[in-house]
Amino acid sequence: MSEPDLRVLRAELCAVLVRRFGVARHAEVEDAVQEAVARMLARTPADPPDDAGAWLYRVASNHLLGEAATRQNRARILNLSTTDVPGPSPDDAPAHLAHELPDAALRMLFVCCDPTLPAPSQLALALSVLCGLTVDEVALRLFASKAHIYKRLARARTRLRTSGVELDALDDATLAQRLPAVHHVLYLMFTEGHLATQADRGVRRELCADALRLALLLTRHPTTDVPATSALVALFHLHASRLDARVDADGHVILLDEQDRAAWDRRLVAEGLRWLARSARGDALSRYHLEAEIAAEHSLAPSFSQTRWERLVTLYAQLDQVCPSPLHALNRALAIAEVDGPRAALVALDGQEPPAWLEVSHLWSAVLADLHRRAGDVTAAEAHRQRALASAPGESLRAVLARRLAATP
Amino acid sequence: MPRYLCLQRSLPPAPDSTPPSPAEMQEIYARFGAWKAQFEDNLVDLGGRLGEGRLVTEDGRSDGPFVEVKELVGGYMIVSADDLEGAIRIAAACPGVVGPRSGIEVVEIFVP
Repeated sequence: MSEPDLRVLRAELCAVLVRRFGVARHAEVEDAVQEAVARMLARTPADPPDDAGAWLYRVASNHLLGEAATRQNRARILNLSTTDVPGPSPDDAPAHLAHELPDAALRMLFVCCDPTLPAPSQLALALSVLCGLTVDEVALRLFASKAHIYKRLARARTRLRTSGVELDALDDATLAQRLPAVHHVLYLMFTEGHLATQADRGVRRELCADALRLALLLTRHPTTDVPATSALVALFHLHASRLDARVDADGHVILLDEQDRAAWDRRLVAEGLRWLARSARGDALSRYHLEAEIAAEHSLAPSFSQTRWERLVTLYAQLDQVCPSPLHALNRALAIAEVDGPRAALVALDGQEPPAWLEVSHLWSAVLADLHRRAGDVTAAEAHRQRALASAPGESLRAVLARRLAATP
Repeated sequence: MPRYLCLQRSLPPAPDSTPPSPAEMQEIYARFGAWKAQFEDNLVDLGGRLGEGRLVTEDGRSDGPFVEVKELVGGYMIVSADDLEGAIRIAAACPGVVGPRSGIEVVEIFVP
């Protein structure tokens, strides 16, 4: 069993066991599953369990039942009672475990998106519980400090333990109410896989696969299969079509204008476009519609120079209206640079101060360095280049930026 | 007039299907463009319509969000039609619902 498969199985098993033992015991469940996995991996490779899921379920579940029995025993001794409390009977995996795994994971996702938690905490919790992301990885993705995320996660896990919202208690109204937060979590999950934030990992595509897997689950439930879900699935497919072309043999990111477009996966592009067509319903336009449309523009462009950059300038402006973010202003400026040149792009960014949280990221500095370099302003370019390199998360991205920003215009 | 429940179904991918040609891809993309055109001039009013509604019932429970049936084209919708053929015509006219990889199941709702 491959590592990503095992990671998915572990998260899903936790969800199934939390469904059974209750969210209050979530931390215990995670430990029990972790221990079961360690035991499975410690067995000789010649002796793998036939059905890893059922095996892990049995081991983790019996461990949890055993703990309950130990507590009962203690209580019995304290009560000096002679009544025999029956011990746990060996627990077998449910007959429909394979079907129950994804369903439980989806419910767990909605439990994590608890509206009493601030949005950043929902995200941190879901990324931690459903993707096994470390505190560092969550911090980078959310543009926050590690200490900040550590505190957030501690509070969110306390809330998870005490919320009393069981997986089976989520009704359709709750699902619909929490859906936008779930969309956002999946979006970030995909982005985490798409943009390498961990040093020298390149594209962490298993997270992209996770996000797509969970988003597709949403499309199979009548309450959660809304147009924005289709748009999200379209966006994932369109970005995934470029994953292979996006990294070189050493795992370094290749930027859009240097990618071999023949290496883009046309099947995934076609699938993305079909989902985009399916998202074209209802009377609400989500940010995911717009982002998928932007991705589709790139997918359908015959070359970087033949891209409809004017259209992209408009789309980024629309995106900034629907969901304001300095990142959209940055992307719009890059599109403007292709249409009217780097000076026009710098004018568009002029007067737009990046908020503090973005300043720590490398993107703003990298774009300014690139635009100044292309405009021929060596001094300004160098200052921004230094800042970009200093703040780049991970060696892989730093190498890409160093190469790109050193090139002569 | 009888009522029909229309359930959206995804169809399994055809095995070994070749990807569509660039022209076919543009055609699929154009379907999105046709729908999107309505938003080009009034983006400010957008979004947040679904998921905002609430109804507090007598027992104080927050129930909702509630959406109009016409908006529920996502997973299912209920239409009134003279007969099954009429219901199928209505369902098939919804953009993006019946396509290469998605179909629709139309079932008459019998009221006792």
